[in-house]
Amino acid sequence: MTEPQQLKGTESSEAELIERAKLGDAEAFQGLYDKHKRRVYSLCLRMTANTAEAEDLAQEAFLQLYRKIATFRGESAFSTWLHRLSVNVVLMHLRKKSLPVVSLEETTQGAEEDSPKKDFGGEDVALAGSIDRMQLQRAVDSLPPGYRMIFVLHDIEGYEHNEIAKIAGCSIGNSKSQLHKARMKLRDLLKMNRAEKAGKSRAG
Amino acid sequence: MNCVELQQSLAEAEDASGSEQRAHLMACPACSALVRELNLIVAAAAQLQAADEPSPRVWNSIEFALRQEGLIRPQRPVVSSFSARWGAARWLVPAAAMLLLALGIYVRRESPPNQLAEQVSVTLPAANPSELNDEDLLQEVADNEPAMKLQYAENLRQVNESIREAQGVVDESPNDAEARRSLMDAYHQKSLLFEMAMGRSLP
Repeated sequence: MTEPQQLKGTESSEAELIERAKLGDAEAFQGLYDKHKRRVYSLCLRMTANTAEAEDLAQEAFLQLYRKIATFRGESAFSTWLHRLSVNVVLMHLRKKSLPVVSLEETTQGAEEDSPKKDFGGEDVALAGSIDRMQLQRAVDSLPPGYRMIFVLHDIEGYEHNEIAKIAGCSIGNSKSQLHKARMKLRDLLKMNRAEKAGKSRAG
Repeated sequence: MNCVELQQSLAEAEDASGSEQRAHLMACPACSALVRELNLIVAAAAQLQAADEPSPRVWNSIEFALRQEGLIRPQRPVVSSFSARWGAARWLVPAAAMLLLALGIYVRRESPPNQLAEQVSVTLPAANPSELNDEDLLQEVADNEPAMKLQYAENLRQVNESIREAQGVVDESPNDAEARRSLMDAYHQKSLLFEMAMGRSLP
């Protein structure tokens, strides 16, 4: 089977699930959940760095989706609709917690930290080869919430800066700046992690 | 372009493909390493998309909420559960329904007596209750509700006797409306017996 055919099959299957869900079919609700749960939950987890909060937010996103599913007319892709809704649920949550969605303070702090000459304990540890997924995940979790949100939306979820600016209520320039700072911060965190590992292995 | 200007341009342009940027990177190993490492991070970020699975608790909570809010609506009963319970006996209900339908058509038709007698000879033998595999029904009851087998056997005997008596009267007086109604009632009783045997309501 060719890839386009597979895609078509997947789409029609999802359309059928949506129609059945509109009629209140429990299996259809679960089918849609199973198809999208990983992406929605991963998004929530990356943006909150907390499994319990991420599960609550994923639950809320799906519930909001199902409450509105009767209004879905298929003008946009279902996954896009669900994804945008999930991002909104997370942002609302962050705002309620008074966490900065975009922080000017972080931007200012970042400027001081962004020297390319920075080293760790006098040793320059290069980020060569591939980056381990778990290491990267831990580093993303360590980012300040504002940096983390922009990095997750742009580099993980594939949003454009103009979309992020609308979602987060900031300027496009601010979104770009925060993304650069987030990447620089991640680089520092990953290098620090490698330097610590290298130190431990030498001591051991 | 110096190192600071290169970093500022990276924040604005997201990559280092401009001519000034390329020229600086050719001459500056530190900035060149920086750009390489940032690209490595961007490439690795895709690994984190849809990488984690929520616990089953999430769906359980969603389903509970959907049921409470009435968004999940009860669906029609699944036929397979009925079939699994009654297996080969599941044909008996439609058979009884067909029997009633055939009889209803027969008794309501306004036909001359000689044609009606002819139809009786054509329609009723095929629908004779004695040919409805009462033994099969009793076997199903014995398999599923052994204690009820005697009760069903007695009910079947009585209803078959009623049908035979009503049939005799109809045969003698084909135009007797009361006799036809009695015959229909008797068949109806038998169909109810089949329905009860199918588990809808045991006697």
